Amino acid sequence: MIDSITQKAGIIAAAAFGVVLVSSAGYSSASAQGLPEGFKKGDLAPEPSAEMIEAGKRVYFTKCVWCHGVDGAGDGPGADRLWPRPRNFNQGTFKIRHTASGELPLFDAKKPVPGQNDLFETVTHGLPGSAMPPWEGILTEEQRLQVLSFVTTQLVKDRKFTDKQSETQTVLQLADLKPKPATDESKKRGGELVVEKKCVECHGMEGRGDGNAFNLKDDWGFSIQPADWHKCWNFRGSRQDPYNVGNIFRTFSTGVNGTPMPSFADNTTVDERWDIANFVNSLCERDALGNPLPIDPLTDKPKINFVIPSDMVEGEIPTEIDHEAWQKAPKRYVAMGGQITHKPRNFVNRIDDIWVRSLYNDKSIVYLIEWDDRTKSVAEGKLPWAPTQVNIIDVKEQDPKTGEEGSIAAHQNNYTVYNDAIAIQTAVKWKELPAPIKPRYLFGTNDQFPVDIVKWEADGSLRAFKGTGWDKDFEERDNYEESMKLLKGEWKDGRWYVMIQRPVGNKKDQDYDEDTFFEVGQYIPTVFFAWDGHNGDAGRKMAVSAFFYTFMNPPIPQETYIYPAVIAVGVVLLEGWVLTRRANKKKGKTL
Amino acid sequence: MKALMSLGALIGVAGLLLLGGMIFDVVPSNTVRLVEGYMPMQMLFEVACFVAGFAGLSYMMSAMGMPLPRFWQGIGFWAFILLYLKYRVYPPIPFSVRAMYGTVSLVAVFMWVSANEEDWKKFKQPIMNVLDAQTGVNKLLRYVYLVLLPILIGGFSYNAMMPKSEEPIELRTVHPAPPASTKVHGKTYTLQTSQNPYRVNPEGKYDQEFSNNNIVEQGMGRLMKPNANPWDDKNTGYLKYVREGGEIFFQNCHFCHGDNLNGRGLHAFAFNPIPANFTDPGTIAQLQETFIFWRVSKGGIGLPNEGFPWASVMPPWEQHLTVDEIWKVILFEYWHTGYYPRTWD
Repeated sequence: MIDSITQKAGIIAAAAFGVVLVSSAGYSSASAQGLPEGFKKGDLAPEPSAEMIEAGKRVYFTKCVWCHGVDGAGDGPGADRLWPRPRNFNQGTFKIRHTASGELPLFDAKKPVPGQNDLFETVTHGLPGSAMPPWEGILTEEQRLQVLSFVTTQLVKDRKFTDKQSETQTVLQLADLKPKPATDESKKRGGELVVEKKCVECHGMEGRGDGNAFNLKDDWGFSIQPADWHKCWNFRGSRQDPYNVGNIFRTFSTGVNGTPMPSFADNTTVDERWDIANFVNSLCERDALGNPLPIDPLTDKPKINFVIPSDMVEGEIPTEIDHEAWQKAPKRYVAMGGQITHKPRNFVNRIDDIWVRSLYNDKSIVYLIEWDDRTKSVAEGKLPWAPTQVNIIDVKEQDPKTGEEGSIAAHQNNYTVYNDAIAIQTAVKWKELPAPIKPRYLFGTNDQFPVDIVKWEADGSLRAFKGTGWDKDFEERDNYEESMKLLKGEWKDGRWYVMIQRPVGNKKDQDYDEDTFFEVGQYIPTVFFAWDGHNGDAGRKMAVSAFFYTFMNPPIPQETYIYPAVIAVGVVLLEGWVLTRRANKKKGKTL
Repeated sequence: MKALMSLGALIGVAGLLLLGGMIFDVVPSNTVRLVEGYMPMQMLFEVACFVAGFAGLSYMMSAMGMPLPRFWQGIGFWAFILLYLKYRVYPPIPFSVRAMYGTVSLVAVFMWVSANEEDWKKFKQPIMNVLDAQTGVNKLLRYVYLVLLPILIGGFSYNAMMPKSEEPIELRTVHPAPPASTKVHGKTYTLQTSQNPYRVNPEGKYDQEFSNNNIVEQGMGRLMKPNANPWDDKNTGYLKYVREGGEIFFQNCHFCHGDNLNGRGLHAFAFNPIPANFTDPGTIAQLQETFIFWRVSKGGIGLPNEGFPWASVMPPWEQHLTVDEIWKVILFEYWHTGYYPRTWD
């Protein structure tokens, strides 16, 4: 155990040394050969041994076959309900590489070295944002090399990793290229370059992947969406190190095989690529101080804090996001999963997180909800169901086994477009529930434990419902809607900004039996729902969050300042007493 | 002896450096991974290593003529336990539980330093020295304490009284008591007597011993037995059902429970409580197959109150799968994790 660490540390140290020593020699000679800057000719790795291949087959048929299929065509039992679809190995097309665009990735069954073995790293770290998990800690290093030996020799059918006639390796010397410091100047130049190099055409003006998102197809004809630069933890090549600028530099230099993402090695210098990488990296969500968000090692996503604090403001709550009060309000990451409990289940939720802030005054509480959505979706014409309807027969879930043509990946971007929407669900009469009991997360439990649902839709409507169970249609709460206010509902460059104001509630104006009353200093169970209209989301086909808590921060009571002072004085007295006693005792002894 | 002790000291220093690195975020906390399913054993082993390391370290130091006073040994060890629990163990332990462990280890340390009169004297000597303040250093220390203590205690109480918005701790029963029977798709199944109809030997009889011989092997990776591949076309009976169960699993369950059945599927990061980790010896390995059948069929909504039915997103699978499909998925889960279902006797 300890040995492997010291070894690792040694390698890292050696690699770091290497960077410094070789950096200058590295690419000057490479460009002399007519290769793109930063690349060097490499050799094809030797064929793995027959034993490795045979052992790998056993690993493959235990762990991988379920998605990637018996022949490695990416058509295992799980494939039809996944988007992105599992990789089809047959063509030898692999996304994350150190090799030039179109070339096979680096793989050497004898060399599990980071930076020199692309496939090994993919299996080790997984591909975040897809169903491919990291296999480190599950399969041993040996087993990972074995299964890759099997995949590269038996399942890659159209190409051969050892064929010198047809294959070349032009390897990005990432370890030798010293990252450029992410200065403001570098990021500014990167920001100009992403426009000049037309990155923004697909990735969008703000890099939220909302550009030319609809016409993009991968090599197999499936819809594919450009990466959202603000969610670096979802970058396929983030290698469980999402804020590492080197990952972006690599992807930008080598392209993503099988997708429309080209390599920019030929028309950018290394220096320009670092600028772009620094700029793209700077867009990834950060905390208020500009530091990377803490990443949960178990999920490889930002760590979740389940309390949404709401700060008090005097007077009117500002409607401008730039306002100081909103800038100071803590912003919470709310993770969203597909609703997979009841039919129609949402296996592919395209909204996987929302960002929530809140402020309150004596009369109202305001939620500011922001989320990335590549498309603004507003249903054409009138929807064929009532806003209160929960059971919608028009929306169907994906069949388990359809073949490629009917698969969920083939359906993407071909759905009937409904409204984008967001809803906040809070427990009614939460104070009377014996903690920790809450109404069920999905539209409440029953009449005894109902929920208060406030739903905004992209057609501009803001409605209030009462929910009494997952399959019960909502009940309208007519006189509540007048007391709510939509302060903002704007889609800009791939992001929705929605600001919803609602009363904190009082017995005089509101109905205690169906409206949530917000009280200062209390934990109010809150669930969020999100619908992406272009994903065909409506009714129960949606994204859901876990239970969060809205917590209205109380003003600080005076006692907070008084008691500690009293206690401190008490301690001083106590000290005096102990010292005197000790002194007396000693005196007594010596006397 | 000396060699042994210096080895111990080496382990101690290396361990302390690692822990220190984790605390200051220099070393990623997953450098030495806690292996799923073996975490409690691994933790005990690690702590044992640390204790051995400390013993070696203190031996080395006294051999080199700079022994660490018992007072600092005690305090240092206690601080180590607290830091280890806070920074090493992942997922993090809630503060209340850590406080409990902290108290227990404080008592243990106390018992250790006060094991006999001499030790106790040695332990309290530094405290007395400061109180008496015979030397210049001690005098200085005494004044520093005099000022620092009230400030620190006042500061702590201020911190404690400041209104905070920490997530309320809710303790949930993960495996609540099952009912005597459960009704699925119109048929009643008595949990004590029902059997998985697909756990059969080549003769078609219920046979747990036969199936146990064909599950994946224990050990890293948990791979299938070389001669028991469920994807072999010639399969009939048990292994064929395992494969069918696997197909259902990868069309329905992996979204949360993950490709390795470890509870880390695509959607898992968004949910709380997190999906069950079947590779953990504390889940399906501890339960009867019929218990799983009840839980799978009825899902989160069918849990008794202590299981937090309002928060679980586990589907009531009777809404999505047939009874046969549910039994096959359960068969697959035991096959893939290499665990035996617990029997009633």
